Amino acid sequence: MALSSKSADEISELLDEYGIKHGPVVDSTRSLYEKKLKEAMAKGKRAKPSSDKTYYREEEVTYVYRTPVRSEASRDSGTYMRSRPEWSEREYEHETSYSDYSRSRPEYRGRDFVDEPYTYSSPSSYREFYSRSTPVKSDQEAPKSSRLVPLWVQLVFFLAVAVFLYVVFSSMETNESLIGLE
Amino acid sequence: MSSTSQKHRDFVAEPMGEKPVMALAGIGDVLGKRLADKGFDKAYVVLGQFLVLKKDEELFRDWLKEISGANAKQQGDCYGCLKEWCDAFL
Repeated sequence: MALSSKSADEISELLDEYGIKHGPVVDSTRSLYEKKLKEAMAKGKRAKPSSDKTYYREEEVTYVYRTPVRSEASRDSGTYMRSRPEWSEREYEHETSYSDYSRSRPEYRGRDFVDEPYTYSSPSSYREFYSRSTPVKSDQEAPKSSRLVPLWVQLVFFLAVAVFLYVVFSSMETNESLIGLE
Repeated sequence: MSSTSQKHRDFVAEPMGEKPVMALAGIGDVLGKRLADKGFDKAYVVLGQFLVLKKDEELFRDWLKEISGANAKQQGDCYGCLKEWCDAFL
């Protein structure tokens, strides 16, 4: 990996892969950027050559699928409050794994209920979209990339947030019950 | 207002014109000579570098440290000086 023999464009691309903010690669900035790349490589930071695009593509697809699922959301109003904060954490943490998506579907639905308050679509369209998701799922799993943040970190963080929210919620509940007694 | 040196205030008060690199806040004789040896003999050349680094603080500080051995305070003073000059005149 002889950085000094690479072209300016290649250096620029490498900087983007490592997520290093940078300006144009010119004579006076070159050595600085080469040094930064060496540090990034030594730290073993994860470079994402083309997986960034995969990430966004799958995110887009996720959005499309969520829309018609809303018809089920109205029936889940009971679990809505609980699932909504959990889902918003998931959105930011989980990149793309479809196995997670299908498992956490109830949480996604809860989120949709609040964000799109227009008429519900029929359950048949929901099934249609759901069946469409399967072929895409197998297609997208192949190029699945390594995670930016390790999975266990995401789960631990998610659990921590869930516990925190539960504590907050339960403390609120205590107050209400006191008022009820009086 | 955070404490800025007289040098800083003098520099950001007017267009830099042909001022030497030592006119920059944080750049004294030693650093100034090192910069001049590398070709950065005028303040506007350092300004050029600052702009090419997209006025980014971290990049500029890293670059200044690499080229002249400036310490954190000197890096900060120089960055602050150039940033404020750009806000006023660029």
